[in-house]
Amino acid sequence: MNADDLTAILPELALTALVLVVLTVDLFLRREDKWLLTPITVIGLGFVGYACWTVWGLNQTVFAGFYRVDDLSVFFKVATVVIGVLAALFTPIYLAQRRLPLGEFNVILLFSLIGMFVLASSSDLITLFIGLELMVMPAYLLAGFHKTDRYSNEGGLKYFLLGSFASAILLFGISWTYGLTHSTRLSEIGGLVSEGGAAGLIAIAMLTVGSTFKAAAVPFHFWTPDAYQGAPTPITGFLSVGPKLGAFALLVRIFGDGLGVSGADWYGVMAVLALLTMTGGNIVALAQTNVKRMLAYSSIAHTGYILAGLAAFAHATDPAVKAQGIEAVLFYVLGYGVMNIAAFSVVGMLQRDPRRFGGLSAFAGLAGRAPVLAAAMAILLLSLTGIPPTVGFFAKLYVLVATVDAGVAWLAVAIALNAALAAFYYLRVIVYMYMREPEEDPAPIDRSPLTTFALAISVAGVLALGLFPDPIISFLRQSAASLL
Amino acid sequence: MNGWPILSLVVFTPLIGVLAILFVPSRNHRLIRGLALMAALASLVFSLRLLGYQPDGAEFQYREDISWIAAFGMRYTLGVDGLSVVLVLLTTVLSVVSIFYSFDPIQTRVKEYYATMLLLMVGMLGVFVSLDLFLFYVFWELSLIPMYLVIGIWGGPRRIYATVKFVIYTLVGSLLMLVAILAVAIAHASAGNPFTFSYETLRGFAYTDALQALAFVAFFLAFAIKVPMWPFHTWLPDAHVEAPTAGSIILAGVLLKLGGYGFLRYSLPLAPDAAVAFAPIVIGLAVVAILYGAMVSMVQPDLKKLIAYSSVSHMGFVMLGVFVFNTQGLQGAVFQMISHGVTTGALFLLVGVIYERTHDRQIAHMGGLNAKLPRYAAIFGLFTFASIGLPGLSGFIGEFLVLLGAFQYSGWVAAATMLVVIISAVYMLWMFQRVFFAVPSDWMRRFWPTLTDMTRNEWLALAPLILLVVGLGVLPGPVLDAISPSVQRILDAVNASPGLTSFNLPW
Repeated sequence: MNADDLTAILPELALTALVLVVLTVDLFLRREDKWLLTPITVIGLGFVGYACWTVWGLNQTVFAGFYRVDDLSVFFKVATVVIGVLAALFTPIYLAQRRLPLGEFNVILLFSLIGMFVLASSSDLITLFIGLELMVMPAYLLAGFHKTDRYSNEGGLKYFLLGSFASAILLFGISWTYGLTHSTRLSEIGGLVSEGGAAGLIAIAMLTVGSTFKAAAVPFHFWTPDAYQGAPTPITGFLSVGPKLGAFALLVRIFGDGLGVSGADWYGVMAVLALLTMTGGNIVALAQTNVKRMLAYSSIAHTGYILAGLAAFAHATDPAVKAQGIEAVLFYVLGYGVMNIAAFSVVGMLQRDPRRFGGLSAFAGLAGRAPVLAAAMAILLLSLTGIPPTVGFFAKLYVLVATVDAGVAWLAVAIALNAALAAFYYLRVIVYMYMREPEEDPAPIDRSPLTTFALAISVAGVLALGLFPDPIISFLRQSAASLL
Repeated sequence: MNGWPILSLVVFTPLIGVLAILFVPSRNHRLIRGLALMAALASLVFSLRLLGYQPDGAEFQYREDISWIAAFGMRYTLGVDGLSVVLVLLTTVLSVVSIFYSFDPIQTRVKEYYATMLLLMVGMLGVFVSLDLFLFYVFWELSLIPMYLVIGIWGGPRRIYATVKFVIYTLVGSLLMLVAILAVAIAHASAGNPFTFSYETLRGFAYTDALQALAFVAFFLAFAIKVPMWPFHTWLPDAHVEAPTAGSIILAGVLLKLGGYGFLRYSLPLAPDAAVAFAPIVIGLAVVAILYGAMVSMVQPDLKKLIAYSSVSHMGFVMLGVFVFNTQGLQGAVFQMISHGVTTGALFLLVGVIYERTHDRQIAHMGGLNAKLPRYAAIFGLFTFASIGLPGLSGFIGEFLVLLGAFQYSGWVAAATMLVVIISAVYMLWMFQRVFFAVPSDWMRRFWPTLTDMTRNEWLALAPLILLVVGLGVLPGPVLDAISPSVQRILDAVNASPGLTSFNLPW
């Protein structure tokens, strides 16, 4: 280890310092002053974001090859910070209404973010696994954060059991890989397929299953709805985007960095998984009457669209087209992160009364009761559907461009048809908000300035990124280029 | 006003209206209505500037071109040719009419209503003036959501079913079209050209047969659903019956034209070989639509449904005119679009007039209205005849030109279509007779004492449409002059396409 190593991991160091600050300050704050933790976390994350900026363009492998700070990882880290800030802003009011501790939430959240940072920067299977566990362990805790709530307990437990199962499979795959290639370096496992024979295929299968499990791809998605439904709603928002971002960092690293170099043919697997995932998620989401659960299933469908970007990456031969696949993944992950966490939070805002549930009926007549909130939710839902001019539309467009350009137009058609399918259930919420009368005793709405502010910036981001994505794209291109 | 971004002003003035309305307290109905009408009128006034379009000048005039999303070469390119000019004018006129007409009927959620209607205007106008495929797609989708809200919020009892059906149908088509747009742009870029969505660049490129065929099918689905063409028309009667009057006016008057416009502007120039190859199928479907729409109209018990099905028939003429690939056919198709917009818009408005008084649209419930509401009957009669295609009114010109075109294509097609001229007289006149001359039903008699003839506002709303339907019928020259160079260019481009004779389907 030398000084260069430390400058390269400045963001990680800053984030770790922030966790320690929050942890310590929490001990000394009186109950009524705990709200200070939110500004501390948000401002601290601002500094972490700045630290990410300092390593942009560095493109170094440090710590004797275990850790790689390239622009791809920096993009993932910046997206992580954005999601972290939104989660820190959306959650406090919801927690306060349920008398849940804010300090613990912030600390666990930040720990999870560190895991995502490590995951994004791993250039070795060992680091990768450590990062993954560091990300998901806090996520299990967050899912069960509402200690006294049965559903939250159930969700947390399911998430934990199935998540550990997936981790075990992944780890097993890693050990097979090591056995076959005598290396855990991502850059050196490329020979797995060409030299490994049948055993190599088994190893790849286990790596695939383990990592797509984390991304909640069909048929490895069964933990998702229960884990998402049980968790406190804004936390669900985080769980549906944060660990998913991490899972895609994992996939990009294993398949892009590791297996991609060898030109291994994993396109077929990825394309089929993408198709299954988007279709399966959408079909099940159609049947949901609980908005929270519907959003949970729809997040599976979005996983499918993102996987299509990876499939395009795998199928393309031209480097520029290959990069486009990764760019699509990155753009989608970021855009999806902002819109989905905000959409979950709107559900949370309708649960000011802790006994109320996020059913469709809670949305009935919302346009009359809270026109601005309804309009915000409508924009988010249109974005999730993929209607312009929103970030969700441009994200889908990016994936479509990548797939068509890579010569897998059939996948693009599948995405288009799936988007129409998804329109059905997303628009149903709009139907309830705008075209139905409110129920007799409408659920009270959280109108706190903090949550409203967070929602406002999310919606502004959704529209701004949809109308003028150019600045982000130039970052994306540089990030994706650093992989190839 | 040279140098002004006229087209941007036309398209985005309604958006300024939306923003203004958002800041008005929702109880202040008068101010909201006033602002909405002013915004729509301002857009109309700006669009009148397009009358200065020079048919023998450059192909696209009043151009604006700004880089938008440079990463993929998407540009904010606007421009109009004769085809766009007439459709833009139709849109602004019908929007003003429908907004003005809504003053009395719409009493709930007024603020949202006018904001939505103005947003709809932005989307529709944008489609007609975009010269960038991506921009076109954005406007295309933008016109969808407001209509969804208009039907879903201010519609009739089965409005939610109708509006969801409308949206899902349209989305399926348009998302596939998006894939086709991307495929076309990528094929162009893969040949070593810079990535662009510019219509003027992309249309001149020789795409492979397979891509043309697939792109044509995708575009066809999107546009055929919008037109709507048999057998993709089933959303239309539902949407029309449930939509509020102003929604029906816009739906029939403008939204259906987006489909016809799409065929002319995008399907033919981008995939000329495939368009010619598929023409017999499309013509077949068009003839079926013309006949089917007319026959189904005969048995409709509901006034709105009758007019909705007659739209299927009339829009079939548009499709027929487009795909016979000759000058008369194309000119007739465009003229028919304009005429249908005016006529059907007016008919829906007139149905709205009686609906406001009786809250019923069943033909069987009417009768004897001629004696009680003579002025109403006279105007209804005028538009009934325009719809049938009586010479001297606008409907005649379009149908006549399309039939001329069809004869050049095939006598059989023209003969089959001619039949419909008779059937359309049957269903419209029979409807007119039952509503206005038959013995009043018991139902209608209950309203007898309170039934009043057309109000001043209704007259005002109808006045521009009356002027247009007569004016276009007597003096079609200016419109035909404006559109003929544009359609001729489209036709020449198709005929000059090198792959026309050697086209092979990929399957």
